[in-house]
Amino acid sequence: MTLRECYESIQGDLDGLIGRVMGEERAERFSMKFLNDQSYSQLMDAIGQGDFENAFRAAHTLKGVCANLGFTKLQEAAAELTEAMRGGTKPENTELIEQTKAEYERTMQALMAYQSSR
Amino acid sequence: MYKALIVDDLEINRELLAEILEDEYSIVLAENGQQALDILTTEDNGISVVLLDLVMPGMDGYQVLEEMSSRSLLDRIPVLVISAESAVMAERRCFDMGVMDFIHKPFDSVLIRKRVENMVELVDYKNQLEEKVREQTDTLREQNGLLREQARKLKERNTKMIDVLGAVVESRNLESGEHIKRVKGFTRLLGEQLMQECPEYGLTQEKMEIIVSAAALHDVGKIAIPDSVLLKPGKLTKEEFEEMKTHTIRGCEILDNVEGAWDEEYGRYCYEICRYHHERYDGRGYPDGLCGEEIPVAAQIVGIADVYDALVSERVYKGAFTEEEAFNMIQGGECGLFSDRILAGFAHVRAAFKELALNQKNHAAQ
Repeated sequence: MTLRECYESIQGDLDGLIGRVMGEERAERFSMKFLNDQSYSQLMDAIGQGDFENAFRAAHTLKGVCANLGFTKLQEAAAELTEAMRGGTKPENTELIEQTKAEYERTMQALMAYQSSR
Repeated sequence: MYKALIVDDLEINRELLAEILEDEYSIVLAENGQQALDILTTEDNGISVVLLDLVMPGMDGYQVLEEMSSRSLLDRIPVLVISAESAVMAERRCFDMGVMDFIHKPFDSVLIRKRVENMVELVDYKNQLEEKVREQTDTLREQNGLLREQARKLKERNTKMIDVLGAVVESRNLESGEHIKRVKGFTRLLGEQLMQECPEYGLTQEKMEIIVSAAALHDVGKIAIPDSVLLKPGKLTKEEFEEMKTHTIRGCEILDNVEGAWDEEYGRYCYEICRYHHERYDGRGYPDGLCGEEIPVAAQIVGIADVYDALVSERVYKGAFTEEEAFNMIQGGECGLFSDRILAGFAHVRAAFKELALNQKNHAAQ
């Protein structure tokens, strides 16, 4: 599995990432860093505790990092969730949380599949 | 190498930016707002540009900006905000707070490089210009001070030379330079009184300084009067008196010949005083028979000062009058008519005139 195939499976923007970091090698290194990124778990912890202020911040951070790494689908889901919690409010549409969860899992699976194929 | 401070709570973001910039900048990293401020405090001038995230736990980007603004750091250190924040209001707020640029995530590495480079260059250039302006302002201020000091010295020397000139003329009168000193003193007393009492004359302290200095030359024309007339002990004949009167016009001829020695205003006052200090308010003075306010106020003032001094001093042709006699003679029009306003001013400084006359006399006797 190539990194490009990995990105294609999650409809990500690999070329955008390569452009940002100037090189495929770096693109790979940075995309792999996402495997250890804490913003998703912080988001879910905060939601679990009903702390929507911190949840907003974590979602905002997740949205930012996904934008930079070219995880377009997860970025879009996180963006919607971010806006639903702006000001520290509980999202009316809990579907947004599920959607983010689903996209995150899809992204992580693809990244892990790529990592194990190397 | 310029130092760039990268402030972002997420490691991936910090590393991404560091990779983009590390070829051209030495990178300093901060995980949150407080750390960023600590670094700005300790490294102070060392940081050339700040790349700032907005949404961070603890102290966020806005608070960092507020703190930087209150410490006047934003004038010196440009800030580039890099945020996933899509709301236009957030961007506006950042610019209102004084950030120099705003980039949305995801960012493009080439644009980041370019924009950071532009910011650093711009602020560098601005700082250099300000430094240069400061240097030049200092130099100018210094030079201005020197010039003013030189102008002051020149003026002082000019006044002294004029006093010397007056004293030279007077020495032919077999008098010391005391008459000049006294006339200048009386002129100042009366002139400064009129400055208060009669604003319509438009006298100012600056003008008074010039008038007092120019008063030293009121009799400069006497240098051209022959000894037989100037030093005659008794009463002058009609012809001799006519000759004596020409000292006013001859003084002006001398002044005309030294044109260029002083500025226009100074020259004008010298001329007025020389020519008109024997004019009287009723038109019965000389040389031109000017009437009332046709007589320049400077000449009117020096006119009284001159007459008063002549009265209270001993001369080859007369003894000294007492202060009371002198005062009454002038007020009574025995030495020619003066304007009521000037006589009123004279009455108000009578005591000071008396004191000055006495001091000078004692001084001369010592």
